[in-house]
Amino acid sequence: MSSVVGTALTQRFGSEVALDGVDLAVDAGEHLAVLGENGAGKTTLLRILATAARPTSGTLEIFGLDAMVERRRLRARIGYVAHAPGLYPALSAAENLAFFCTLQGVDRGRVAEVLDLVGLAELSGRLAAKLSRGAQQRLSIGRAVLHDPKLLVLDEPDASLDSAGPELLARIMRGRTAVIATHDHALANRLCQRTVELRRGRVAGVPTRLRVIH
Amino acid sequence: MTSRRLETAAAAAVALMLVAAGFIFLYAPTDALQGPVQRIFYLHVSSAIAAYGCFAIVLLGGIVYLWKENATADRLARAGAVVGLVFTTVTLVMGMIWAKPIWGTFWTWDARLTSTLVLWIIYAGYLMIRRLAEPGRQAARFAAVVGIFGFIDVPVVHFSVTWWRTQHPGPVVINDALPSQMLVAFFVTMACTLFLAAVMIAIRYRIEVLIDQAAERVVLAPIIASSEAGTAR
Amino acid sequence: MRFTSIALAVARKDLMSEWRTREVVPALAQFVVLALVIANFGFQFDSRNASAIAPGVLWMALVFAGLVAFGRAFAAEREQSSLDAMLMTPASPAAIFAGKALAAALLLVVCEAVLLPALALFFSVPLSFAVVSTVLLATVGMAVLGCLFAAMVARVRARELLLPVLTLPLWIPFIVIGGQAVQAAMGGGGGGMSQATGLLVDLDILFVVLTSLTARFVLDD
Repeated sequence: MSSVVGTALTQRFGSEVALDGVDLAVDAGEHLAVLGENGAGKTTLLRILATAARPTSGTLEIFGLDAMVERRRLRARIGYVAHAPGLYPALSAAENLAFFCTLQGVDRGRVAEVLDLVGLAELSGRLAAKLSRGAQQRLSIGRAVLHDPKLLVLDEPDASLDSAGPELLARIMRGRTAVIATHDHALANRLCQRTVELRRGRVAGVPTRLRVIH
Repeated sequence: MTSRRLETAAAAAVALMLVAAGFIFLYAPTDALQGPVQRIFYLHVSSAIAAYGCFAIVLLGGIVYLWKENATADRLARAGAVVGLVFTTVTLVMGMIWAKPIWGTFWTWDARLTSTLVLWIIYAGYLMIRRLAEPGRQAARFAAVVGIFGFIDVPVVHFSVTWWRTQHPGPVVINDALPSQMLVAFFVTMACTLFLAAVMIAIRYRIEVLIDQAAERVVLAPIIASSEAGTAR
Repeated sequence: MRFTSIALAVARKDLMSEWRTREVVPALAQFVVLALVIANFGFQFDSRNASAIAPGVLWMALVFAGLVAFGRAFAAEREQSSLDAMLMTPASPAAIFAGKALAAALLLVVCEAVLLPALALFFSVPLSFAVVSTVLLATVGMAVLGCLFAAMVARVRARELLLPVLTLPLWIPFIVIGGQAVQAAMGGGGGGMSQATGLLVDLDILFVVLTSLTARFVLDD
């Protein structure tokens, strides 16, 4: 059963075409890597999959629901790590998460759990502006799983993480359906079962099945 | 509407405006108090009414667009805004030309002039946000919101300036009851102007359709790098 | 109620950020005092017409400070990614908007707490409850309108130019009515104080409702 089915997804901004008829399917529990150069359309595609943006045309079905119509409901089950961390610099790590707990409607206890999960328990009181880029990325990843989503959409989450990063990503992706955009082919091999490559807004070649390496 | 019918309609509109001109200059009597300058009134007020009418179209188009995401509604709103801006400019200019000989000044901050100026600024803002926002859905959505607030704002401004004037009495706008011949000339002019406005909107709508079609006909264009550089889209 | 708790959480977050960084309020307070000083040199006033000029200076300072304060509510680039993150939650855009407008309004009120006494001092005009209440009532309406259009222009080019063009026409009723009320309260001529209060409340209600309804079209795709 496919968790995510995108058909002919097209995104245009005026006369610029960022995505051109992309077809995509991700099975339940599957991890899909989206590869491609800068400017290929990875971020645009991921924003659409996360329901953060609406495509100009095409259909998207997530967990059997029409993503255009049921956005509110779907967002409760989707965790999105954007290209930019979007944290509040004047708030501490814990305060950042607590704020999003309120917005998500989940219990405050999740803050401590998630800080543990992403390895930031000792830095919980540090202001986000004072965190290293890697720690900020971890916090951003943690924020995406506060509400225990069934689908994770990660836009180059490995960008600032250190060597322990892939392990963290594997941990949070376990048991969830995930779409991850990355440049790093080795990471894609390690974390995902399939890859799709975007070139200038289109799917290049055929989605490849990777050997699963555990 | 086909090109043929548009051309006929346009020709008819021009002809009707000539008819209106005839009524204004030949049929209507000269005003006793103000003299021949008063004849500006017919077109000035008709333009104002046409401008508000266009704005009503912008409002309705915007509401329908927000509700249904209907591209036609959005195009109609765009057409209404452009034509409305033209008529508002005409109203303002004619108002100033009329004001100078009558009140001795080109401008006064009474309710009507102020709200017409505000109307102009709002239309200009509408077209600006259309041009500057992300083309497509974002531009249409933002413009629709501007149109809704703008439409409500104009009567509110009018009311608040009128209220202010009750605290500070200013120049009285000449408001005589019109003799029947003038009334006739006025209604003829108004009807012809409204028809002209409708034709202009239809023509502009056609242009908007062509603009949209041209944008869609682009074959894969170079992708902007910024979609990968983290700019929110 | 979810709406209220979310709006308050958003407002609290913005206010806490401002309290810790102190970026906006000190600069706005200085700007406002500077505006008064310049007005003193720009307008030739004496004890007789001070009460006629002071209201105008007050509203001009308020308008410019307001444009800055509300513009900032959605301005920063990181604010944009943070806004996206907020929209990805079940929280309604109207609640998020309400929180941001509330925080921005409170920041402007802090600024007014500097502006009004400074005005009373520099222009030797009386500062009555009527003046304060008028300014506060106007702040509500100006805040919701300013924040809505600030959210709109945040993602758009030429935003510093566009925000005044879109916002000021909608602020005019507040300035006209509020200006008259303040002038009357300061003894500068004309009446209409009680009427003005009622009108400002009406305007506030109208625009709070309208902005709540349209916020989701501006914030979210």
